[in-house]
Amino acid sequence: MRRLRRFLRTPEAVAGTILLTVLFAMALSASLLFPGDPQAIAGPALLPPFQDWSLPLGTDRLGRDVLAELFHGARTSLAVGLAAAAAALVIGAVVGTLAGFAGGLVDEVLMRITDAFQTVPGFLLALAFVSVVGPSLGVVVVAIALGTWTGPARIARAEVLSIRERDYVAGARVIGMRPLEIAFREVLPNALPPVLAMSSVIVAAAILTEAALSFLGLGDPNRVTWGGMIAEGRAVLRTAPFLSIVPGIALVLTVLGVYLAGEGIVETTAVRRGLS
Amino acid sequence: MNLLTVSNLIKRYSRGGKTLAAVDDVSFHVEPGETLALAGPSGSGKSTIARLVLRLIEPDGGRIEFEGDNFLALRGAALRARRARLQMVFQDPLAAFNPRATVARVLDDPLRIHGVASRFERPRRIAALLERVGLAADLAPRAIHEISGGQRQRVAIARAIATKPSLIVLDEAVSALDVSVRGQILNLLLDLQREERIAYLFISHDLGVVRAVAHRVILFDAGRIAENGDARTVIGAPQSAVGQALVAAAPRLHTTTQDAS
Ligand SMILES: Nc1ncnc2c1ncn2[C@@H]1O[C@H](COP(=O)(O)OP(=O)(O)OP(=O)(O)O)[C@@H](O)[C@H]1O
Ligand SMILES: [Mg+2]
Repeated sequence: MRRLRRFLRTPEAVAGTILLTVLFAMALSASLLFPGDPQAIAGPALLPPFQDWSLPLGTDRLGRDVLAELFHGARTSLAVGLAAAAAALVIGAVVGTLAGFAGGLVDEVLMRITDAFQTVPGFLLALAFVSVVGPSLGVVVVAIALGTWTGPARIARAEVLSIRERDYVAGARVIGMRPLEIAFREVLPNALPPVLAMSSVIVAAAILTEAALSFLGLGDPNRVTWGGMIAEGRAVLRTAPFLSIVPGIALVLTVLGVYLAGEGIVETTAVRRGLS
Repeated sequence: MNLLTVSNLIKRYSRGGKTLAAVDDVSFHVEPGETLALAGPSGSGKSTIARLVLRLIEPDGGRIEFEGDNFLALRGAALRARRARLQMVFQDPLAAFNPRATVARVLDDPLRIHGVASRFERPRRIAALLERVGLAADLAPRAIHEISGGQRQRVAIARAIATKPSLIVLDEAVSALDVSVRGQILNLLLDLQREERIAYLFISHDLGVVRAVAHRVILFDAGRIAENGDARTVIGAPQSAVGQALVAAAPRLHTTTQDAS
């Protein structure tokens, strides 16, 4: 409770929390407020915003409800962003822990693999992966995770390298604990805080990557995505700029919200650790 | 028969191109139920010997025999199983436990790993262990960082005796404690030794403490044995230069608990 109050005292954290709350509310209420297919035609094409109150944000080139698309797009962005970031953090933490704890040849091999992944730009990797395997929600999640797990892996490894020299790890060996249990039950949980501190940046990057993939037409074709909406609106950018601007703003606010809330969390926990 | 026999143990570290023998051709033995103290100035290799004996690091030469077996030949599961008989208590009881652990978990681990008691029986065993080291059983759910340093060292001792070891290595196990707490912990160790016939390899730089608990003592200097013998004889009239320096540096040699006998 005290931590929550301290968290809410920083203005960035409050702003970020509000933005994220709105985003989550949109994602969760999408199918309640806009039941049915958001990609179905709802009215005349290219209706500008604020003209017809049953279609507040107007319609796109095909007459689809922009507000409905925006809500359903929030869902995709959030789902892909969170899933990809979670996958990247899990892979990174496991690889980093194994490398740091095992040392020797295992460390060498795992870190060379990490290097290899890191030298290829994450976005190109995602692009290549989706092009080869074919666009679907799961593939997009894996594609994004492939390009982002290396950061968490390096941080986890560095942390594990220092933790494994501590007395309590020697103590765990002395009582006969198996190496894998020591690595994952004793060491990994204590190596997590700095890894988790990266999560807001990773979620934000994952959301942007998803949007970029969708913009290039490599998103799941059965889902509305903000990136796809922006790409869609590009064709009529001069006559109906709002079609690109609305999802663009949503994207910017989302990334900002994730980032600010993440910074707030890191700051409050850092303050807490500084005090104790 | 000896419980632990260490012969010609060698451990070298390389530092800045030069190699330094942290443990240089050291031999000694420990008999069942006795306390052998290892003393010596800082950097003389005491902790390195403790880590070697516990197989936390591997020696560059020599033999270690424990309970009649070649201890250095044990690997993997066989080594882990044998660890039940050879335990350790660290200097800093806070650093010796996972910062997220509770008292119950710290004591549950050895019981579970060595199959000492079933899942349903373990809470009762944990309570009994806590009582054995003079702690209340209701301490079990507390986090390790929420109890006092003295209580923590008692928990460390409870964890060490959970698997009924024949030898416990104590590396400066009382050095971080207040003087009053130190006396209580030393008495607890003496009680346990009397009742369970546990042998101690007792590492300390405090000759007062050594004289109070140890039967025999070995004095180290730069990785080598400088002097060894009956604890009170050696401390009463040290022959080596290191021994004389250590005795001279000891504040008052008669401030600890009653002597072991
Ligand atoms: N991992 C290591 N790498 C390099 N040198 C080491 C390492 N561990 C110990 N040493 C060196 O070995 C020597 C013996 O160290 P050790 O810790 O065994 O001494 P000690 O007698 O326990 O000292 P203290 O009373 O300060 O605890 C020291 O010179 C130390 O610097
Ligand atoms: Mg030491």
